[in-house]
Amino acid sequence: MDSSWLLLFAVLAPGAAGLLTLVLPKAWITPRVLLAAIGPALAFVLVLSHLGANGVEGGLTHIDEAHHHGHVEDGHGHEAGDDEPAHDKKAESYADPPGLNHDAPSGTAVIPWVPSMQLNLAFLADGLGGFFALLVSGTGVLIVLYARGYFGNTEQAQRDLFRFYPTLGFFATAMMGVVLADYTLLTLVFWELTSISSFLLIGWDRYDKHAIKLAKQAFFTTGLGGMGLLGGIALFGATTGIWRWSDMLAPGSVAEIDFGSAAVTWAFVLMFIGAAAKSAQWPLHYWLPGAMAAPTPVSAYLHSATMVKAGVFFVGRLFPVFAPGVYAGQAAGTGLEIWPYVVVSFGAVTMLYGGITAVNQHDLKRIFAYTTVSQLGLLMAMYGLGGFSYHDLPTIDFDITQIANHAFYKAPLFITAGAIGHVASRKLPELFGAFHKHKAICLTMLLAGYALAAGPGTISFQAKELFLYAIVHAAKYEPWLWLVLVMTIVTAACNVAIFVRLLTTLMGWRFGMQAAEEDAETDDHHGDHEHHHEHGFWGALIWLPAVPLVALQYLGGVITPLWNVMFLPLEKYAFYFDAVPALWQVSFKTLPLYLSILAIVLGVLLGLSKLLRGQHTDVNDQLYPATENAFVGMGKGLFAVLQNGNLRYYVLTVLATLTAVFIVVINRDRAMLELVGTEATKAFELPLGVILGVLICVSALLLPMVSQRVVRVLVLGSCGFIVVAMYIVYQAPDLALTQLMVEIISVLLFVLVLRLLPDEPDKRKEIGGKVVRAVAGVAAGLVFGVMTLVAASGEPAQVLGEWFVQNSYHGEKLADGSYGRGGGGFNVVNVILVDFRGFDTMGEVTVLVLAALGVWSMLPGRRKELDKR
Amino acid sequence: MSSILVRTAIKLIFPLVLIFAAYTALKGHNEPGGGFIGGLMGAVAVLLFRMTNGRDALVKLMPFHPRLLVSAGLGIAFITAVVPLLFGRPMLTSLVIDELSIGMGQKIHFASAVFFDVGVLMVVIGVSVGMIQRLNEEIDVQEVRAEQDRAEQNQEAAL
Repeated sequence: MDSSWLLLFAVLAPGAAGLLTLVLPKAWITPRVLLAAIGPALAFVLVLSHLGANGVEGGLTHIDEAHHHGHVEDGHGHEAGDDEPAHDKKAESYADPPGLNHDAPSGTAVIPWVPSMQLNLAFLADGLGGFFALLVSGTGVLIVLYARGYFGNTEQAQRDLFRFYPTLGFFATAMMGVVLADYTLLTLVFWELTSISSFLLIGWDRYDKHAIKLAKQAFFTTGLGGMGLLGGIALFGATTGIWRWSDMLAPGSVAEIDFGSAAVTWAFVLMFIGAAAKSAQWPLHYWLPGAMAAPTPVSAYLHSATMVKAGVFFVGRLFPVFAPGVYAGQAAGTGLEIWPYVVVSFGAVTMLYGGITAVNQHDLKRIFAYTTVSQLGLLMAMYGLGGFSYHDLPTIDFDITQIANHAFYKAPLFITAGAIGHVASRKLPELFGAFHKHKAICLTMLLAGYALAAGPGTISFQAKELFLYAIVHAAKYEPWLWLVLVMTIVTAACNVAIFVRLLTTLMGWRFGMQAAEEDAETDDHHGDHEHHHEHGFWGALIWLPAVPLVALQYLGGVITPLWNVMFLPLEKYAFYFDAVPALWQVSFKTLPLYLSILAIVLGVLLGLSKLLRGQHTDVNDQLYPATENAFVGMGKGLFAVLQNGNLRYYVLTVLATLTAVFIVVINRDRAMLELVGTEATKAFELPLGVILGVLICVSALLLPMVSQRVVRVLVLGSCGFIVVAMYIVYQAPDLALTQLMVEIISVLLFVLVLRLLPDEPDKRKEIGGKVVRAVAGVAAGLVFGVMTLVAASGEPAQVLGEWFVQNSYHGEKLADGSYGRGGGGFNVVNVILVDFRGFDTMGEVTVLVLAALGVWSMLPGRRKELDKR
Repeated sequence: MSSILVRTAIKLIFPLVLIFAAYTALKGHNEPGGGFIGGLMGAVAVLLFRMTNGRDALVKLMPFHPRLLVSAGLGIAFITAVVPLLFGRPMLTSLVIDELSIGMGQKIHFASAVFFDVGVLMVVIGVSVGMIQRLNEEIDVQEVRAEQDRAEQNQEAAL
């Protein structure tokens, strides 16, 4: 129980700290920054202490030692002499498959929340979740500091920071919840919260219509993805009975899931749609470049390091369960066959599309946004590739390193992009030679850019090597993956080209981008220039938070063993290498290395060339506006048809629809009509009732004959009074009384309203002839009559009625002679109203109040005007 | 509506109807009646009073906005509904005391549902009175304006 509360506290800490900053006066900037930073810092420490005390759940997937080494060498040797291309997976499968085993995580103790819906508070800090929690909270601290540098200390900044920290804390809490939740539905709850907070942060500038539009676009896209997620989780839970991630990962349960069933396949498809929307996979990626309308701290935090990785995280959660062959040694035949094909295709297309589009941008934030899209595609493809096997070993290694690698260079890139936008410009051509003026910022950016290019000496290089390694291995069995390999090379070349352009431009060398003509198009309408530049420590905060992250990149690249000490405990998959290989361990004879060199050469050439230097507009940007316009247009069309402002038309539509639906239903079940026949004969047993019924019909038919409105109201009233008599005949005094009073009040209301109406009805708005209206009226009346009779003939109604009568005063007689709980009244009708069905009455009374509120708000009060008289 | 006969009759009937409305509402648990019916009756009485004696008389009789009645009624009903939850019972469970002595040797049959009924009664009276009063004000204003127009026209004609 303790660790549950501890992790819950860690999840809530950033949000709580953010809320607490609201207490501070607006002018206290430094205490505000410190208080806001305490939240994520506390979360970081708590998660770390949890991992330290309890260990990382579900540790590394182990393989038999001998087998392992055989494979690694095998893997190394293959590329040199590729003499066995015709190998078939089955032909080569071993008599004794490699014994993969893993510790199943169990999750923390359950704190009940909504147990009936399988939604409780329990947390799972396994390698993936624990790593993400550390990433979110650790980056969170840096972003809190960066926001101080970004917003400055002007009066405007005081207002901005006052609003910013609570929203940021809200997001951090939501994101911590996503990555730590053990219940699938709890993940979903926090997932939606991240969408909401992201919406608030993208539309940060409340007076910028463009930003609001983009915020809406991001919200609806990820929100629709969230719907898919909900559907997938619910479908999966309902078919398999698994509602916890830890249950899903338990050794026994994977074997029990029926992967052949359509329900599980659909659950996967729906969940993947949700994850793909969140992680900006093509063709839903358009929202991420749009989200750059947010202030740069938000872009650096949400849209590069954390939130957009939620989809990758989710796929990572699903990976061991859905990808075929991950635990092949344990449960053969598990996993979804379509997993690798679906995930790899979308991931690879996104990767290539993002990479090429990124080269074609001028705005730094847009460049980095598209490289983020590209990298997210790569991470997806990585999990997809894990679904393929090579010698019965899944082709995936060190997923955490891949994810960490991206966060550690992309967040610094955004941070420095915001910084350079502050002091100079965010347009690449306008930054020609900027290095000589802003050395610190540009140096940090270039160092991070070098990691983007996956240059040797950064962990990024090893990560790309590992990815190429996986593709090359998987492609041995799946020849179409060679295409993916080519796509990866092109993407890598694009990344290198971006770095080369960044370098040449910032340094002011030849081949750099130079301002040619005015480019008007930018997402940055609020303009970074408005902020005045500070000096000293607080001023340096605009780029300083990027430094520790970049340092991690180089630390990983140069002193890889240290990286392994930090991150290996969090890794789960290590099939080819025991640990992330150091730079000198990457064998020089392997194909992936040659491919890397090829990519770098291609990239440098592309970067220096004149190719792809225009401002490319993404066709997918039109996807959302077009869809939205279509829906709005459809709504307007429907509105014009349905809401034409004519009351008669509304009534006619409603009645006609009712009749039509009734006819359809009756056609399906003819037996109903027979019931009605027997029930109708009962109605003729009481002569008085028949007489009254005839009278009601006569007065109703009189209505259309008279033309004066007042007379009509009176006829309608008389109709109602006959109904009262009917109730009395059938011994329902309560109903009769109510009906009587309602009739009186409605006649009074009608008379009043009629005085407000013009004398002559508007002939132009007549709908249909008198005949049509008469037919519709009679038909609707008959439908209601038949429905009432059907309802009266129902068996359950009688049972319920008897029960009400018996329990009106006393409850049922108990064994010891006493009585159970009853309504305590002799008038069954009233007991039903206030007790058995009291909730209904409550609702009806509320509706009444709403109606009164409607009248009060639509008719303005005339008291003052009358009092003046 | 300002005929003297009606006005005098209403003066007599009005208190009687109100008393009867209260009786029906309180007695409703055991005999025909209830909060809704009682409320409607009270509303009819108030409306007749307003129609005969005019707006000012009603304002004097009920010197507050009907929404006060509405919100108070809804509040009472809601509290009655929720209180049983505090005792671990389902919503709207009523407390029944078969013989509650009310002093002077009298005993009544009491059910806590009566509070709910009273809440409903207040809402119904408030809503109907509020709606009809608003409509009436609208008519009054139109009449006042028509009168002013006529007066202006007369003045112009005189000039």
